[in-house]
Amino acid sequence: MVPFAGAAVLEEPAFPVWKDGEFSGLQSSGWVAGSVLLTDEPIPDEFGAPKSETIQIEQPKPEEVAQDLAVSPEIPEEFLPAYFAERPKSFLIDPQRLLSSSDYRDRLSFLNYHASDSSIDLFVYVIGGDQEIPSAVREEETIERFFSAGRPAAIVFYYLGAPQRSAVYLSPSITDAVSAAEQRRALESSVIQAFEKNRAPEQLEKFLVQMSIRVYWMERMLAGESTARNTSPPLVPRVAASRRVAEDAVRVHGLADMARELAIPAGVLFAAVTIAMVFSAWMRSRARYFFPEFEVEGRLGGAHAAGVGAVISFASAAVPPASQRDQVPDYLRRA
Amino acid sequence: MLADADARFGAEDVQVRCLTDSAGILRRGDRPRVEAAMERITRRFPQVFVAIYTGSLGEVANIRQFGFWLLNRSAFEDVPLQMPNAAGILLTIDPESKAAGMVFGYLLDPFLEEADTFECLSRAHAYWLEGRYADGIVRVLAHLDGILCKRSRQARRDPEYFERKVLPPAQVGDLLRRIRSGHRASAEEKTMEVAP
Repeated sequence: MVPFAGAAVLEEPAFPVWKDGEFSGLQSSGWVAGSVLLTDEPIPDEFGAPKSETIQIEQPKPEEVAQDLAVSPEIPEEFLPAYFAERPKSFLIDPQRLLSSSDYRDRLSFLNYHASDSSIDLFVYVIGGDQEIPSAVREEETIERFFSAGRPAAIVFYYLGAPQRSAVYLSPSITDAVSAAEQRRALESSVIQAFEKNRAPEQLEKFLVQMSIRVYWMERMLAGESTARNTSPPLVPRVAASRRVAEDAVRVHGLADMARELAIPAGVLFAAVTIAMVFSAWMRSRARYFFPEFEVEGRLGGAHAAGVGAVISFASAAVPPASQRDQVPDYLRRA
Repeated sequence: MLADADARFGAEDVQVRCLTDSAGILRRGDRPRVEAAMERITRRFPQVFVAIYTGSLGEVANIRQFGFWLLNRSAFEDVPLQMPNAAGILLTIDPESKAAGMVFGYLLDPFLEEADTFECLSRAHAYWLEGRYADGIVRVLAHLDGILCKRSRQARRDPEYFERKVLPPAQVGDLLRRIRSGHRASAEEKTMEVAP
């Protein structure tokens, strides 16, 4: 449709008309140039094939039509309060337990790490891949209600197994600072990263790593560095570096999780060893030692003791104990 | 000989306390530390007590004789009557001549060597050089504690070894004779077995 086309254009010029006897004269010569086109008669079939019949397409059955019209299932009502009743207390909201416990723990650890490292929190609502958010819930209004106060946040509605359906919102305090285009790019690149994996939990992992990197850029924009973006080094290497850092962080978090799992047994073992050592030392300190008493013949007229024992001089540091050994005269030694 | 020492220091018994600081070398606050270390020895070795005497004795040679004399002639006021001086370990320090000696009674005669007491005194050498007498005494007693522990365990395992060290020479001769006669008897038995 060309909106500026005028009425004059719509008027077709009149076709030329044969003069009297001109057409019959040309016919008598055997061939009329352009006669196929310049005629009101229908164009004859080139190959003389019979006229094709109308293709019969099977019409959809009523139940199929009904199925197509049915919308995707909504999030069960019982989970709605857990999703949308209040500001989430955790960065990962999965009341339906769509993620396994280990996956949930890993992703939550990552989000916690992200929150500790970034000024923009990342909240992720996990929703079934075929589920819909009920129309009664308006995401923008929900986000404005819960995320107006507190730290800036990026909120992702992530559809498990269908990352392309995901949506990202920013808390009102940073919505103006981060352009819609940037938000869209963040979402697209995260979805692309997610699709590198086949398993839904792994897709979520890749998605979050990339989104975390993108949130980092948003953070830079908030800090007013977006203006220098064009003069900064190419984005790709820096994103790759950031991704490496994020992946390293994930690995570190894996190790940290393992350390947390081992912390209790190690603590118990350490406490047991410490208690054993303390008990052993206590027992040693309480131990009593006895000597067998032998009849010793008196010497040198002493009723209780004989000999002079050892003597040491500490008059000078130049005369160390080592040089003072064997000073006892032989005549004082026991026979 | 004790008679020679009596001639020099007196033949009468003297009453002293286990910790007698006649030289006044222990500073305020030192006494509790030293007494605690002494008490620890008595607690862990109930048959034994430690006495410490500090005073000016003149020549270094005198300290040898003085320790021997004091352990034989002293009556320690704060030692139970049933515990004889033979169970005592006496540390004598002369800050004037800068010498220290350690003697012990007959109870420990089989178990302690002069080398052991010298090792104990050596531990205090560095402290006493600096005039830190209490620190040195505590180190001496700590090392003594370790040696007594070791000797007590050894004596429990092999008391005969320590008994042989204090046997009178005559009895040692008897023991040797018995051992030799035993060897001869067994040798004769072997000869009998070989000769048809």
